[in-house]
Amino acid sequence: MSRALEVFHVPLLFLTVTLLGGLRVADRVVFVRPPLSALVLAVLLLAVLVRCGAVAPQRLMHPRRSPLENLSGATVMMTMFAASVQAFNSVIPESGLPRLGVVVLLFVLLLNTIAASIDRTHVLRSTAVILGSSFVLKFIVLAALSEPGGGWLKRVLLAALEGVTLGTLTQEPFAPVTGYVSFVALALFLGGLALLPPRYEGDEQALVTARQLRGGTK
Amino acid sequence: MSDSMIRAIGLALTICCFAGIVWVYSHQPQTFAEATGALTATVGAYHVDEQAFADGFRFFHRDQFAAARLAFDRADPAHQEPRTQFYIAYSYYREGWGRMYVDKVLFTRGLEAINRAIAAAPGGRIVVDDANLQMRSGDELKAELEAGIQAGTEMNPFTILRRQRK
Repeated sequence: MSRALEVFHVPLLFLTVTLLGGLRVADRVVFVRPPLSALVLAVLLLAVLVRCGAVAPQRLMHPRRSPLENLSGATVMMTMFAASVQAFNSVIPESGLPRLGVVVLLFVLLLNTIAASIDRTHVLRSTAVILGSSFVLKFIVLAALSEPGGGWLKRVLLAALEGVTLGTLTQEPFAPVTGYVSFVALALFLGGLALLPPRYEGDEQALVTARQLRGGTK
Repeated sequence: MSDSMIRAIGLALTICCFAGIVWVYSHQPQTFAEATGALTATVGAYHVDEQAFADGFRFFHRDQFAAARLAFDRADPAHQEPRTQFYIAYSYYREGWGRMYVDKVLFTRGLEAINRAIAAAPGGRIVVDDANLQMRSGDELKAELEAGIQAGTEMNPFTILRRQRK
């Protein structure tokens, strides 16, 4: 990772996501603070990314770097965590049954990804699919159901969900610009994740060798 | 430029941006004017437009409440000046109070304005020196607005017995 990326581009990109993730536009502009569930999901995502080698904290912080370099590395990790929290804040529905359902679904999906221990490329793809599908659910499906007038999508969904009380599904309607802002925030977040330094293929082997060497000298 | 200097600049920039985001999420500014006004108020550099305030004051005492609010908004675009916000809240109260009913929408807006006034006033205490008003403190006005909002229905013939506090 180049110095410019580590010091300026990646932290500022993640901070942009942090700012935009909670933005909701209705009759007024509201910056929604993240729910506790978003923090839990962000911790899980961080675990997924580290475990699967999509980000290597040991390349951002290690004893051979100067304190200032390590501080820069820590800043990248902290801004990435803040952006993850806000990315989840952006796609989790605001209230009711959909909120509970999406939080549980994301929790299970992330746990499943940790258990599967797949490689960097697959983890990034999986993160894109998880966030993308939550985005579609919130800003297209639920937004259509919550629309006061109701378009063709609402009629189709109503027919499909026959017998379900809409009161448990409908959300507070937002201006369309909220969806666009959220889309940009998610795209920036995924772009930022792709810029993070991945684990080297030889990293784990080197770690094992170092441990063996240390064990041998005792 | 040395490596340490560049990293220090990057860290400072990141910390400033993060502090800005925390500030935005805690203050919830609605417009750019509110954001800049709140920032200047933090360092004590915010001033109302006295001419616009005088216009609003004149309209208010002629019972031209909508015009008064427009002038007050011009005087205090960032909603940071307690006295101006007090008069905005009072204008909503006076306009929303009816002999047989209260307009809860206007009362709610009034409550928002008086809450802004109380939040911006030192120690949350706001008292205006205006002999033409029956309620001169933020607490009295807030209590009156809350009582109006909490009333069971908008139409209530018993309110005919209640007097508007001019």
